[in-house]
Amino acid sequence: MEQPKEKTDAASPSPGDARETGNLGSSSAIGKRLKAYYDDVAAEPVPDRFLSLLEALDTAEATSKSSKRS
Amino acid sequence: MGQEPDFRRELVSIIPNLRAFAASLAGSFDRADDLVQETLVKAWDKQHTFQPGTNLKAWLFTILRNEFYTQMRKKGREVQDVDGIHAMQLAGHPEQQGHLDLQDFRRALDQLPDDQREALILIGASGFSYEEAADICKCAVGTIKSRVSRARTRMADLLGIEGDGEYGPDSISSQIIGVAPAA
Repeated sequence: MEQPKEKTDAASPSPGDARETGNLGSSSAIGKRLKAYYDDVAAEPVPDRFLSLLEALDTAEATSKSSKRS
Repeated sequence: MGQEPDFRRELVSIIPNLRAFAASLAGSFDRADDLVQETLVKAWDKQHTFQPGTNLKAWLFTILRNEFYTQMRKKGREVQDVDGIHAMQLAGHPEQQGHLDLQDFRRALDQLPDDQREALILIGASGFSYEEAADICKCAVGTIKSRVSRARTRMADLLGIEGDGEYGPDSISSQIIGVAPAA
């Protein structure tokens, strides 16, 4: 029974610790399906509605700034 | 302020991840995209509170998650029932157990409690560390670990996977076992 050592010390705060995924690594059957499910959604192109939303927010901000200036 | 175009560009680059997380929380794509839209508007409004150099993805996930639970509280049970029906429509035929495709996986995922499902997604799919996931969910690291562990056990149970392990060749045999009816 080999237990992975508990990492409780703050001495190793590297973001690389994200790899410690508790039996959800890429070789786990559930881990694989989870990734496949998630990536399936994430692989879809960003809908235009979001791009135009950000465009509109950006424009609105620029407009309000320039109108304050004048 | 030269950093605003960057903020927008980074926001766009994280949208696919936000959608995948939102879909796993909300159960339907329509609701997921509404959540993402709310998240983008809120993030834009409070972009001055974001500290450059910190994790924008985690910051956005936190906003989206808060938005989801706020909506859940407002709408109450009604929403859950509607989602339940939607999930069933998405799920297809439950008797096709041998055919473990994405829909079967989705259906199993829907049966997890919200807190376990989000922990599983954040750690197993979104690529966050336990510490980051704990920040996003506002709970202790140990809580995230135990939620992931319970979620994993439950998923293995629901999908009929035995001995789902991370230790090399075992995963191949467990996939074969997973297709057979549970003994």
